[in-house]
Amino acid sequence: MTPAARRILGSVIVIGVVAAAGAALYVRGPGPMAFSGGPKVALADYKGPNPTGVPANMANASLIERGEYLARAADCMVCHTAPGGKEYAGGFAFKLPFGTLYSTNITPDKETGIGNYTDQQFLDAVRSGKRHDGARLYPAMPYTSYTYMTDADTLAVKAYLFSLAPVRAAPPENTLAFPFNQRWAMTFWSALFNPDTRFEPDRSQSPEWNRGAYLVEALAHCGECHTPRNLGFALDNRKKFAGALTAGWRAFNITSDKTTGLGSWSDDDVVSYLSIGHAKGHGTASGPMGEAVDHSFSKMAPTDIKAMVAFLRTVPAVPSPDLPAKLAPPAPPSHRDGMTANALGKTVFQGACVSCHGWTGESALSPMATLTGAWAVNDPGATNVAQIVISGTKRHTPQGALSMPAFGKSHSDMEIAAVANYVTARFGSKGSQITASDVADLRKQTEQ
Amino acid sequence: MANLNINGEQKSFDAPDDMPLLWVLRDILGMTGTKFGCGVALCGACTVHIDGKAVRSCLLPVSAVSGRAITTIEGVGTTPVGAKVQKAWLDLEVIQCGYCQSGQIMSAAALLASTPTPDDSDIDAAMAGNICRCGTYVRVREAIKHAASERQT
Repeated sequence: MTPAARRILGSVIVIGVVAAAGAALYVRGPGPMAFSGGPKVALADYKGPNPTGVPANMANASLIERGEYLARAADCMVCHTAPGGKEYAGGFAFKLPFGTLYSTNITPDKETGIGNYTDQQFLDAVRSGKRHDGARLYPAMPYTSYTYMTDADTLAVKAYLFSLAPVRAAPPENTLAFPFNQRWAMTFWSALFNPDTRFEPDRSQSPEWNRGAYLVEALAHCGECHTPRNLGFALDNRKKFAGALTAGWRAFNITSDKTTGLGSWSDDDVVSYLSIGHAKGHGTASGPMGEAVDHSFSKMAPTDIKAMVAFLRTVPAVPSPDLPAKLAPPAPPSHRDGMTANALGKTVFQGACVSCHGWTGESALSPMATLTGAWAVNDPGATNVAQIVISGTKRHTPQGALSMPAFGKSHSDMEIAAVANYVTARFGSKGSQITASDVADLRKQTEQ
Repeated sequence: MANLNINGEQKSFDAPDDMPLLWVLRDILGMTGTKFGCGVALCGACTVHIDGKAVRSCLLPVSAVSGRAITTIEGVGTTPVGAKVQKAWLDLEVIQCGYCQSGQIMSAAALLASTPTPDDSDIDAAMAGNICRCGTYVRVREAIKHAASERQT
């Protein structure tokens, strides 16, 4: 090779590497708190009140009590518990397009759980996605969010988990297809997408905002469902909280967008939605959000809920162009008026739905069962309407229990598609046109 | 201790807040006129009225109805519409095995209370959730119309 050829080859390699690095950085995009723009400082250098840890009313709580609060705030239990299984014993199935992933047992059982984890091993697993044997975790475990947790908070969670009774239960083997079954490949994913840094408060923001930021980003991991994903299946924070489809449910837009986000909700509305999973005129949380409310948000201190709302309010508006600009008002009180074109949908609705939801969509039984005003019935994709018909919901609120039966076993895909299209046309402003195969696809994503 | 207003009477009992109203009615209060059919709000056998509206009691948590007026098949005959429906049921001998009929009567009474002269599509819309394995649907429809005409005379 002549010196000139070597120089050219060298340049090509350098350009290639720079381009690849540039592309990777572009795909990675900004971090979850970059939008605030203010100066970030290490926690140790922050002069304001401590945004981490437990709320002030728990200042004298024991380590285990703190860990319990933080484990609830991080909502560990929902994913680490199989339906009908023992709490924290794992085995919950994540149905992915390329196979199924099962959550692990995080009770202190020495053989099947985390009983042998040292503090360092626990920190590595929760925040770096590294298992005790060095193998990499899949990011179904939201370690790219938990990575912002402090040492003290993470180890308090460990202390709480170690205070539970050990459960001997090995989760089923994952069934991921090649190349997704190659755990070592997650090393590169992690290097690119896990910042592996701790929470840094923003000095230009209020103490309340910083507390909210820590709760939302490090613990509650809202973005894992509400932020769309990029080419590498990591969170695309250019569209932070703009909504996404996750695990067979649609997580709606929670940016400050006025028409399709939370921009026109009052603070009280958002506080109420987080605390009890319902806000008047805005529908009711079900599916994964219902679980998040019942097991996590409803157990949190009111000051923490307010802090999260203060933080959410500042997330830049990103519209959801597929959602209608106006939500539909209540439907007519008579079955004769309003939506009439979909005979099968009406047949299913009058047989199975109307006795709770009514013809207007405003339930005579409970405001929690009111359809009017909910994004779900105004979503032209009808994802959550079809999914709740398939899977049902069971909620435990401070006001009592409420449930909707799962009609997935009693109704065919075609019937469920028809009733979803009927419901979105009758109670929403932009009816859906989903098909039986869409319903079949939704079923697959939530089967356990 | 929970309190419910059932057929105009106050009833007190102990029950978890997520216990279905039907279980409270049948198992705790001994009011077995309301039937258990499918248990998943699909057959209508458990229909009762809450503030005059026909609802399925098998999945309705008792905590959701405290302070509301609950009417069951034991009490519906004391309302003018309920009495007419029951009379029409006897006049036309609607019942075959009878298991679904308390639910059918409750749905029919709620329908007639809000729509005094229903046509076939109103009857379909109100009665679709009440299933009868004996197939008495034709007589149910006829009896509803009979009760409606009785109202007008």
